Amino acid sequence: MLAEQAIIRFENVTKQYDEDPPVLDDVSFEIERGKFYTLLGPSGCGKTTILRLIAGLTEPTKGNIYFNGKLVNHVPANERQVNTVFQDYALFPHLDVYENVAFGLRVKKMKKADIDAKVKEALRFVNLEGYESRKIQEMSGGQKQRVAIARAIVNEPEVLLLDEPLSALDLKLRTEMQYELRELQRRLGITFIFVTHDQEEALAMSDEIFVLNKGKIQQRGTPTDIYDEPINRFVADFIGESNIIPGKMIKDFLVEFNGKVFECVDQGFHPNEPVEIVIRPEDLEITEPDKGKLRVRVDSQLFRGVHYEICCYDEDGNEWLVHSTKKAAVGEEIGLHFDPEAIHVMRLGETEEEFDKRLESYREVSHAK
Amino acid sequence: MQNRTRNIYLIPYALWIVLFVVAPILLILYYSFFDIDGHFGLVNYEKFFTPVYFKMALSSFWYAFLITAICLVISYPTAYLLTKTKHKQLWLLLIILPTWINLLLKAYAFLGIFGTYGFANAVLGLFGIGPKQILFTDFSFLFVSVYIFIPFMILPIFNALEELNPSLTDASRDLGASPWTTFRRVIFPLTIDGVKSGCQAVFIPALSLFMLTRLIAGNRVITLGTAIEEHFLVTQDWGMGSTVAVFLILIMALIMIVTGIRR
Ligand SMILES: Nc1ncnc2c1ncn2[C@@H]1O[C@H](COP(=O)(O)OP(=O)(O)OP(=O)(O)O)[C@@H](O)[C@H]1O
Ligand SMILES: [Mg+2]
Repeated sequence: MLAEQAIIRFENVTKQYDEDPPVLDDVSFEIERGKFYTLLGPSGCGKTTILRLIAGLTEPTKGNIYFNGKLVNHVPANERQVNTVFQDYALFPHLDVYENVAFGLRVKKMKKADIDAKVKEALRFVNLEGYESRKIQEMSGGQKQRVAIARAIVNEPEVLLLDEPLSALDLKLRTEMQYELRELQRRLGITFIFVTHDQEEALAMSDEIFVLNKGKIQQRGTPTDIYDEPINRFVADFIGESNIIPGKMIKDFLVEFNGKVFECVDQGFHPNEPVEIVIRPEDLEITEPDKGKLRVRVDSQLFRGVHYEICCYDEDGNEWLVHSTKKAAVGEEIGLHFDPEAIHVMRLGETEEEFDKRLESYREVSHAK
Repeated sequence: MQNRTRNIYLIPYALWIVLFVVAPILLILYYSFFDIDGHFGLVNYEKFFTPVYFKMALSSFWYAFLITAICLVISYPTAYLLTKTKHKQLWLLLIILPTWINLLLKAYAFLGIFGTYGFANAVLGLFGIGPKQILFTDFSFLFVSVYIFIPFMILPIFNALEELNPSLTDASRDLGASPWTTFRRVIFPLTIDGVKSGCQAVFIPALSLFMLTRLIAGNRVITLGTAIEEHFLVTQDWGMGSTVAVFLILIMALIMIVTGIRR
């Protein structure tokens, strides 16, 4: 059932250039039809490489890639139902905006009138009506990016690959395009694989996020899964801001850090296992110094528009980042309160499978209860 | 102040241009108005429009065109392969190397290779094909000319291909274009400037070739270049030679303008 739905499947794919360490290291995943996926990771982690493998612009060193259940390792790019919005746009400098967008349709030998209608519609979608006869050199970075998006979506591929397609846009236009791309994806029902290193963008747009680092998938899941239950320090750090503190799991539902024992909702650890604790800055609440669970001193404060970003230190020298709508006074002692649910406990060096298995096992336990 | 010092630097160059480019052209123009007996007039120009010279001009064009076309057909794929090879700089050097050898020297080498008892006939002999007349034919003339001019065609095309952003070909393939369509719609149009400069660099000198016409083609091929040489050195009709030269310069300028138009 699931295998039928998967439009793309990577099976132990490794990509290596020359003698360098592999760019992608034994990566396996499935992409389901009609969903919005995001590849998220720092620069050089292999995001573009995954897209190139899917598009057929490069072949895997090891492993297999399936498209609609068929092995496509050696199928050339022009025979795949995939279109790409390239990171560097890759617009044809000898063609004007119209001809750039029409390129794929012309190659398919579509009728002139149909091409015209489709190109116009695609340009309308990216807010570039009236730019048809502009030269590419006369377009701004953001406009080029939008031409690149139009050139890809006009072909209505089964899978659309977008390599940081919004990075050159200003905040307002970017938010608008995020919304519209998401809308388009729902309307056309095609699969989007979206690359970004902007975690907010990833959280806002995706059905599913793959967090990558150094050629490996660190974690995959829905935005809330990944945000609330990061598997390791890298993911916790990369997705949103977090306070990560070393601690010890006393037993199920009890964790010790900062020399105190706190209630939590995590389980399935060995008694007294060393762990790492994640608490999101927005889950910390400022209270009177003696009323909070933690006592910290405010070190600095930044106004971020929606909230204040307050940096504090506890007696042990651990740094605590707090997001609060309330202002604090620098140099003063404050108390920090948090709920047991706000604590997320991470096992050291746990792989994705082990993590999933552990979650699975205690979900079963709680069901049985 | 700055401007003045810059002008001083320009003096040697300007002197050079005046002495060796402008002055000779003016001289040629001046001579072209005198007939063989030293009378001033337009006689030479009238003579140029007679069938004899017209045919000569046509044949010059025809051979220059053939040489350019053959060079292009060989050079484009070669340059393309070159951009894909590992040690491209080395290969490029090997292709450029022959241009450092004197033209005359190369011509004499071919005299030996193509001669009745030369290497080419020896190879043919191995296949049981008796000695053939290779020298003094159209074939040998074209072969040697192409050999001499090919580096000048490969170089600009190679440079244009190197400048081509590889993600453009990726984009074309991604949009469904086959390798051939990609070549036709993306690669070739984007390297057309390289092709143009290559054609210029071959066609213009090919138009005025004269050494090879005598040495390799045995005067079977008469070009405008040959005509100029004949008039100056053999018949001593400097006026007519100059007139032909004037037309040659005009044609070259015209070709430069036509092929030089860039977007
Ligand atoms: N053709 C190539 N030859 C050698 N190494 C390459 C090649 N292409 C990519 N790499 C290497 O592969 C690694 C991953 O590259 P990739 O382009 O996938 O990164 P990315 O995640 O897209 O990064 P960014 O966010 O900066 O775009 C990089 O270390 C890069 O140097
Ligand atoms: Mg990239």
